[in-house]
Amino acid sequence: MKPRRGRRQGAFTPYLFLAPGLVLFAAFRVYPLLEGLWLSFTNARLGRAQQTFVGAANYARLLDDTRFHVSLLNTAYYTLASTVPILAVPLGLAVALNRGVALRTFLRGAFFFPFTLSVVTVGLTWLWLLDPVIGPSTYYLRAAGIPVRSWLADPSTAMWAIILTTVWWVTGYYLVIYLAGLQDIPRELYEAAAIDGAGGWRSFRSITMPLLRPVFLFVLVTHVIGSFQIFGQVFVLTNGGPGDATRTVVQHLYETAFQNFFHFGAASAMAWVLFLVILAFSLLQFRLLRGHTQY
Amino acid sequence: MSKPTPSLTRRRFLEGATLGAAALPFRARSASAQAKPTITYWNGLTGADGKIMDELIDQFSRETGVRMEQQRIVWADLYAKLQVAVPADEGPDLALIHTVEIPHFASDGIFEPVADATASAKGFKGEDYLPSTWQGGMYQGKRYAIPLDVPQHLLYVNVKVMKEAGLAGPDGKPRIPGTRDEVLAMAKQITKGDTFGFAIGTTNPGRYTWGFHNLLWQNGANVYAADLKKSGLAEPAAIEVAEFWSSIQNQHKIAPPANANCRDAFIAGKLGLWIAGSWNFTGLRDAKVEFVAAPVPRMFKQAVVWTMPHQFTFPKKKAVDGAKRDGAWAHIRWMSDHVAEWTLKAGQVSALRKPHSDSRITGDPVLRTLLGQAGQWQSGQATPKWVAAENITRPVIENVYIGQKPAAAAMGELARQINALPD
Repeated sequence: MKPRRGRRQGAFTPYLFLAPGLVLFAAFRVYPLLEGLWLSFTNARLGRAQQTFVGAANYARLLDDTRFHVSLLNTAYYTLASTVPILAVPLGLAVALNRGVALRTFLRGAFFFPFTLSVVTVGLTWLWLLDPVIGPSTYYLRAAGIPVRSWLADPSTAMWAIILTTVWWVTGYYLVIYLAGLQDIPRELYEAAAIDGAGGWRSFRSITMPLLRPVFLFVLVTHVIGSFQIFGQVFVLTNGGPGDATRTVVQHLYETAFQNFFHFGAASAMAWVLFLVILAFSLLQFRLLRGHTQY
Repeated sequence: MSKPTPSLTRRRFLEGATLGAAALPFRARSASAQAKPTITYWNGLTGADGKIMDELIDQFSRETGVRMEQQRIVWADLYAKLQVAVPADEGPDLALIHTVEIPHFASDGIFEPVADATASAKGFKGEDYLPSTWQGGMYQGKRYAIPLDVPQHLLYVNVKVMKEAGLAGPDGKPRIPGTRDEVLAMAKQITKGDTFGFAIGTTNPGRYTWGFHNLLWQNGANVYAADLKKSGLAEPAAIEVAEFWSSIQNQHKIAPPANANCRDAFIAGKLGLWIAGSWNFTGLRDAKVEFVAAPVPRMFKQAVVWTMPHQFTFPKKKAVDGAKRDGAWAHIRWMSDHVAEWTLKAGQVSALRKPHSDSRITGDPVLRTLLGQAGQWQSGQATPKWVAAENITRPVIENVYIGQKPAAAAMGELARQINALPD
């Protein structure tokens, strides 16, 4: 009997250690999530004394909300368009730095520095850099005889200006992750390939890329999740403009919840739709990359 | 050698403690008779005017003994915070807000109504104020706020730019446009390279709803029809304004791009005629820009000037602390009595009539210009949906400004969106 009781007690021990974390997780993650789900089925609004159950009305309303549709499309466009530069630019820099270029430590710090800045600082800096009247970019382009345009006020370029800002901001972060991945690849693999006559490109394609696949998966999944939730850069740089050309889902959600009548019910419905979209994309990415990933 | 007597024996300690405890109620009573409350005060004066408010609050506290704990929050965030904090009974004792916020906060029960008798007993009477500002503190027959000042539009004329464009007289004084034709003619003469002739709005002129509203009102149009039920933006007068809004950028090409920082452009000598808020002028003086302040030109049928008065209001409390409420009233009274200093330092014209004849104010050319516009002041309509309508107006007028959408179609779509705003 005694040993059995001891085993039973031992089985609970891990849960005791996990309990503090689980309690906090339940209180600050699970409960708000479920509360948000409940709110999305009500007419909840700050200032309204009582909230009533409205079924799927908030979700049905999203079907008619053309600005929500535009926001979804813009968010998807941003995510797709920013993925290639976010994957490629830090990778290129990481490969270069991994080869032992001069001033490697300094350059690594310099590339990482923008990531230490807050999104508001980054946004305001680029707002000034791209200002169509007094911005340095305007001045130098004009001086070089290149036609000047208002990058953030033109619907065809505004999103690209936001992508440029984001790439500048987060490149250092992904660069460090890529560097860690690159330094994990055994040197002897490259030496063996070189003996077999493989050039730089062949080594990169046949050794670096396959062995970096877990890092790619991490970068891709975190970037896509972050991209679907993009808000700060847009809020500071364009506020969703020009018109609704850069309006994203979180911006629309924020305005619905905190600017236009404080409609928490409608905003919660948007948040849940966004959650489902992100979940679908994340599962898709895992499915596409999992089978080929070498951990 | 005798044993030394300890300075604090147990008996002495107990005697002292008993006497002290007995004296406590008397001490507390006398302290409460003298103690002054600490008032929590939220406002959105995040610009240069915030420092002026700090100075005045320090002076108020020195003179009255009432302490004020200020929270300065960007206006949009302040309103969101009020909406969240007040129902949780965490709101401030006093808040400074814009007039157009009163209807929706009042209908949501965020603000405490003020009885006329109470306001009157505290010395606040309608006849002392400019009518539009006093009326602005009312919603559905109840008073919710006491006006402080009147932020408004005016025309800033950049002397350097005007001189370079040949638009100054032999005495060096720039010509001042009074009508739309004059504005357009001068602006075309100024516009060259990266220097622009005309702009409305501080930043992001394309989505500057306050400027758009000013033009609407000048053309006899408004966001809502007179019954405040349906939008009036699909009416011909509103469409005419939207067409003008588009034309300054796309047809006449006299205005900076939609996302330009007009204030910085004006300071940098790249903008000639600029309709913007009165809150900018002290900053322009600090930046040593040579400018002339002129009345807002009559661009359409009538001379109307956009205003957005600041109002003091009492966020609702579950249990009102009488001493704090008295302290808040004392602050409103004190600010009203010292509003001339606020006007002179912060550049905001008083809602009270009395300081308007102060020679220090009439002697300032900019303040004199602002006072001269008083007969043309207009503010947003008293509907709880005003602010939400304003928010959804921004991207639409920006699309018009950059030529992405024809004026008539945009205004029709905007009117539909405003009519569909939920209650």
